[in-house]
Amino acid sequence: MATFLPQFQSIKSSFAHIVLSVEDVSDLWPTIKKGFEERLPFKRASLNNKTRNPVLVDELPAEFILTTDARLRSRFPQEQSLFWFREPYATIVLVTCEDLDEFKNILKPRLKLIVQNDEREWFIVYVSKAPAHNDQATKMAKKVYAKLEVDFSSKKRERCCKLDIHGPDPNFWEDLEAKIMECIRNTLDRRIQFYEEEIRKLSEQRFMPVWNFCNFFILKESLAFMFEIAHLHEDALREYDELELCYLETVNMAGKQKDFGGVEKGDDQATLLDSGKKALAQIVQDDSFREFEFRQYLFACQAKLLFKLKRPFEVASRGYSFIISFSGALALRESMLPFCMREVWVITACLALIAATVSNYEDGLAAPDVEKEFYRVQGELHTLCHTKFMRLGHLVGYGSDIERSPVNSASLSMLPWPKPAVWPPLPPDASSEVLAKEKMILQESPRLKHFGIQRKPLPLEPSVLLREANRRRASLSAGNMSDLFDGRPSSGDGDSSGTPSAVQKVSNVSMSRTLSSPGNFDGSIDRPMRLAEIFVAAEHALRNTISDADLWKSLSSVEEFEQKYLDLSKGAANNYHRSWWKRHGVVLDGEIAAVHHKHENYDLAANLYEKVCALYAGEGWENLLAEVLPNLAECQKILNDQAGYLSSCVKLLSLDKGLFLPKERQAFQSEVVRLAHSEMEHPVPLDVSSLITFSSNQGPPLELCDGDPGTLTVALWSGFPDDITLESLSVMLTATNSTDEGAKAIKSSEAIVLRPGRNNITVSLPPQKPGSYVLGALTGQIGQLRFRSHSFSKGGPVDTDDFMSFEKPTRPVLKVARPRSLVDLAAAVSSALLMNETQWVGIIVKPINYSLKDAVLHIDTGPGLSIAEKHEIEIEKHEFGANNTGLDNPPDNHSPVSADVKQLSLEDGKINLPDWTSNITSVLWIPLKAISHGLAEGTPAGTVPQRQSIVDGLRTIALRLDFGVSHNQTFEKTVAVHFTDPFHVTTRVADKCSDGTLLLQVILQSQVKASLTISDAWLDLQDGFAHTGKGDGRPVSKFFPLIVSSKSRAGILFSICVVDTPAKDEGKELDPISILNIRYTISGDRNLGAHSPVTKELTGPENETDPLTFRSALILQRPVLDPCFAVGFLPLPSNGLRVGQLVTMNWRVERLKDSGKDVDSDDLDEVLYEVNVNSENWMVAGRKRGYTSLSTKQGSRIVISILCLPLIAGYVRPPQLGLPDVDKANISCNPPGPHLVCVLPPAFSSSYCVPAA
Amino acid sequence: MIVCLAVVGHENNPLYIQSFTESDDALKLHHIVHCSLDVIDERVNNPKKSSPTINEAFLGLLYPTENYKVYGYLTNTKVKFILVTTDLDIRDADVRNFFRKFHAAYVDAVSNPFHVPGKRITSRTFGERVSTIVKSFGLSSAS
Amino acid sequence: MVREVSESCVESLLAEIVLSYCSGFYANKPELAARRIEAIGFQVGHQLSERYTMDRPRFTDNLEAIKFICKDFWSELFKKQIDNLKTNHRGTFVLQDNRFRWLAHMSIDPSVQASGNIQDPSAMAENKSAQATGMHLYFPCGIIRGALSNLGIECAVSADISNLPACSFVIRIKA
Repeated sequence: MATFLPQFQSIKSSFAHIVLSVEDVSDLWPTIKKGFEERLPFKRASLNNKTRNPVLVDELPAEFILTTDARLRSRFPQEQSLFWFREPYATIVLVTCEDLDEFKNILKPRLKLIVQNDEREWFIVYVSKAPAHNDQATKMAKKVYAKLEVDFSSKKRERCCKLDIHGPDPNFWEDLEAKIMECIRNTLDRRIQFYEEEIRKLSEQRFMPVWNFCNFFILKESLAFMFEIAHLHEDALREYDELELCYLETVNMAGKQKDFGGVEKGDDQATLLDSGKKALAQIVQDDSFREFEFRQYLFACQAKLLFKLKRPFEVASRGYSFIISFSGALALRESMLPFCMREVWVITACLALIAATVSNYEDGLAAPDVEKEFYRVQGELHTLCHTKFMRLGHLVGYGSDIERSPVNSASLSMLPWPKPAVWPPLPPDASSEVLAKEKMILQESPRLKHFGIQRKPLPLEPSVLLREANRRRASLSAGNMSDLFDGRPSSGDGDSSGTPSAVQKVSNVSMSRTLSSPGNFDGSIDRPMRLAEIFVAAEHALRNTISDADLWKSLSSVEEFEQKYLDLSKGAANNYHRSWWKRHGVVLDGEIAAVHHKHENYDLAANLYEKVCALYAGEGWENLLAEVLPNLAECQKILNDQAGYLSSCVKLLSLDKGLFLPKERQAFQSEVVRLAHSEMEHPVPLDVSSLITFSSNQGPPLELCDGDPGTLTVALWSGFPDDITLESLSVMLTATNSTDEGAKAIKSSEAIVLRPGRNNITVSLPPQKPGSYVLGALTGQIGQLRFRSHSFSKGGPVDTDDFMSFEKPTRPVLKVARPRSLVDLAAAVSSALLMNETQWVGIIVKPINYSLKDAVLHIDTGPGLSIAEKHEIEIEKHEFGANNTGLDNPPDNHSPVSADVKQLSLEDGKINLPDWTSNITSVLWIPLKAISHGLAEGTPAGTVPQRQSIVDGLRTIALRLDFGVSHNQTFEKTVAVHFTDPFHVTTRVADKCSDGTLLLQVILQSQVKASLTISDAWLDLQDGFAHTGKGDGRPVSKFFPLIVSSKSRAGILFSICVVDTPAKDEGKELDPISILNIRYTISGDRNLGAHSPVTKELTGPENETDPLTFRSALILQRPVLDPCFAVGFLPLPSNGLRVGQLVTMNWRVERLKDSGKDVDSDDLDEVLYEVNVNSENWMVAGRKRGYTSLSTKQGSRIVISILCLPLIAGYVRPPQLGLPDVDKANISCNPPGPHLVCVLPPAFSSSYCVPAA
Repeated sequence: MIVCLAVVGHENNPLYIQSFTESDDALKLHHIVHCSLDVIDERVNNPKKSSPTINEAFLGLLYPTENYKVYGYLTNTKVKFILVTTDLDIRDADVRNFFRKFHAAYVDAVSNPFHVPGKRITSRTFGERVSTIVKSFGLSSAS
Repeated sequence: MVREVSESCVESLLAEIVLSYCSGFYANKPELAARRIEAIGFQVGHQLSERYTMDRPRFTDNLEAIKFICKDFWSELFKKQIDNLKTNHRGTFVLQDNRFRWLAHMSIDPSVQASGNIQDPSAMAENKSAQATGMHLYFPCGIIRGALSNLGIECAVSADISNLPACSFVIRIKA
């Protein structure tokens, strides 16, 4: 049956549509032909596919052929069964007849004859020529047609239709088409059945020896073709798929060794897309087909159908896998195929497939994801082609022009060399070419990278070509190839086979010289070829293999090669970019960039390189980045893109150290420094976050008080390989708590040299607002170059919560405390000091954990106080901490005045505190003298003591302390010091003797916390008094020295008597007061209070030199001699007084004698009275002061009563009634002296209750 | 034979790349691994490729090229394991099994408290363990 | 191989952590201490999730991941599953453990339980015991957050102990 193949193919090529035969019984065709053919192709046909499911087919082409046509000549049946698809699918019988008899007698039998064999699908078209107006004719026509229907139509099938030429009714054509369709459908179904039956029969005997693939193929393909012309492409495709499957299963069954094919001229060009390239008859082989051509043929058929189905993407994906598998098949046969057949075929196949699919593809044809897939496959095809093409280029010696990139290395170095049975021999008379190649080899030199980076170039060869080639040469056994050279241009020509290397060296030189002379290129078989020779041989072999002129052209010269290389790379890249596989695309961009780079279109190269670098850097593939980045840098440098170049250098530096040699990294740095110091026209801020990182030092953050400057140390990690000098460096601090002010820059003063690795930088810190701060950014300057770094150091401490993100430092580095008191000044002594004497005033200087280093104390004494300038100021350590106020420390644990008392001198009110006191509480002893003019006054016992004496004993010292790191802190305080007299003097008349001698008792109340030693005391009496017995005013009894201890009292007795005052008329003013003089010494501790005054030569408090003098004024009253009035205090109610109970105080005032003045006035006289009362003890309800009338007669009396309220329980002085108008000397009081009354404590829950003093 | 084994983080950053070739041209393997991420991305965020095993960690063969094969494995934590091998007849079962062992090793490695997530795996013990797994794989596939 | 640790050890370790952070390192900064404890939990969860998701298909959506936390992850940690999972389908999930083992041996003054939401500093300020318990809850919160973030779900986790020993964790997924 294989003999029919040529015929079969010719029929296939000639018939591409359905045939409808027209049986023109009564020569009607010429007249109606036009009308019929206008219907073609059929708009819409409904057919049944192989699985008997109705399918709608649009635009079904068909052809009307008269049965008399030569093309329908009958053939012998066995042949028919094969080519049945071309037989008519319907037979249309055209008849006309106006006469019933004629119909009965002639036409009907004839028709019967025509339609008798029932294999044909047929129907009758009755054409009536009757003109419309001619009723006769039309009636007749109707009759005949009716008859016709009766005779030929059956009830199950309507086989007639009627066409009026003159009055064509519209629905005739639908009728016609419907009938035609019915016929086609039926025919198709029947034929499908037939073919399936046949195929089934054949495939049953498939594994029998009689099996013949050709028969199977012809049947299968006939069926497929029939589907195809019926536009049932899906079914056709399925048939081809099955056919392919079957072929692959059967073609290389065990036992049968078949001829593969592919050895003919032109086979190198893939024919996987045109089925007609080779006649099937040529590829048939005894009972099957040669694999090489046939598989391509099948794919071509499938592709054609897929294109018709508008599925170019499927063609592409199927095609790719076909190429892969087919190239595998080629690899198996490689030994018997022409040299590099496989590579060449793959290249051409890819190119053809790309061209076809792209031309058949328009965007939006498929769903977006299918589209992406399509572009991916396109990319894959390009890449595959690219790889094979590079391999070819490598074989003919363009290897040095292939970029030794990871991509190419990955695709080539694992791709084995072609393995021909025998490596192509060197053709004769190739000497010149060999020389050319030699020159090329010698010229080629590895392009060394920028920055003098040298790497072992990545391998492109799976193994050494030289060895491979020579191993496959006829005469040489693989054994002695082992020590051939690896064909590096440097160690040029590996020649002498298997000789020891020493000899080799010698023979090397000689050989290379001799060999380069012509005449030796006889292609001698037993001498291993040299690389150049291999190239030449390969080139010649390829020239024989490659029949495609374009491909050969692109291999003919380096330039052409590169052009093609570039095109393929671009094609691949662009397609990948439009697919999911972005990385593939970008990486290939890198390859393109490399070519541009080599050809010095640097801006193109740079753009592409940038994309690649961005990709690698973005995903952190540093090893790959390290390959590309130097190239980018070089381009940027040449393009004078300084900013880019700089950042590239920085990136290079910040890559993993292991990736570059130290000297390379030094080169990077030197470039950075060079640029930084060169005049850049527009300097750029540089981000070195990856290179210079920083962190706070370990340990607690630096704590500062408000307003203090400080120095902050920051740890910097420098990624530079060498020291680098920073012109300036500043650290940003960002406040954590307050958001209002952002970052503060803190400049480091001078230039800094960063060592590689960790550096500790100290920056000075101006006073900051209170709050806590963290490290922000780092900025600085290298030369003119401003850089900044944001990245918190990874080298620094890794806090547990920062382990995910090193970027933001959370540890505060600086804490500025809120304002607080840093120091306290207080008076060392609270108790009184001696008035009018130079006394040590202690001032406690107490730093509150803050250093008072070189602090300055300003002292400003208030009024009535003066510093004894001539005296040194003493300072000593304060023993008792903060709580030492002289009061509550028992004297025994006073330190002896500590050894470390230091003298300081005061200049214009300022004292510099010594350093040793800067952190301890210290006492400053200042000699001060409080002056109070006016004498201390003694008071008669019992009268109210004057409080104000305390007040006017107060003196104040204004202190200002300037301290702090830069005297920025000041502390001001006014200290009050209390001065007082040593004694408070009270007097009373102790006794009145009969002879008029008065015993005057002077009570001395010590007012200081020191023991006073009275050495002497005398009284200078006022006029009207005199010492009895010519005394010198000394006390009655001499028992000096009298020691008055602190807060105790002592009494001294004087005996005096009243003498007549000299008459007033002797104009001399008489002395109203008498003065008590006391000579005493004081021994006290200045830590406690009063002490012996400071003398010129410094004296300890203990020594007993020159006693002091204390003078106090006393006022003595002359006793009443001629009383005019008597004031008597009437006894109180017996039940006693009680706090809070009102009580009436009564006084009886009696006139003792007439006031002998103005008699003429009426005898009533107004007397002014006044109650003076200690308001602390009593509350007076009534009028304290007022006039009361009292007659002037002697003996007239009156009672003044005041309502009082005792406030304090105990023995208190009652209120006293005085008569201010009357001279004290004229009033006799009863009781004469002050007396006390008893006040009982209050009854409970008395609302007047006040705490006892 | 297994040529290369890589762990790639969830941001597609290399965490561990070990080549098992004697030649020092690991870069091409870096390239292969890196590019195979394309395929993983495609498999993962392209529902078209949905299959019953869409969510299985083992992604199967990523790359059918003429001369080597790339297999992928994607953990629940978006960490990718990539295996490059040059023996072309290899059973998926073996690879799946291999990846499971390797995953266990990886988990132990990253559970080390001193390992910082997202950083390269530098543990030596991990390296040794991996090499033993690789050896055993060679045996299993050979048998 | 399955390695296990004694539960009591874990509990006392947790107690120690809380103690040493709250009263040791960051005595007067509870929020900082909380952050640190949470961070430790984060790391733990991060690594555990790596292990416990080892041989299971990848999760297709957040809910699956959360379910994983509720079922397998929880039973790996506590030998029991989360008792109740609620969600508002807008990224908030509430996981309730009716008897949270790490709080099992912890007692709280019933009067202050009412305001035991550790996310509410005012409540913490007003009662110490709730604060203390809250401190113990930062660790499990961190574990959950770590596990989820390792599964690619960034979220915030808080805990609510309004009725001990039940404890409910609230997961808010960052949209």
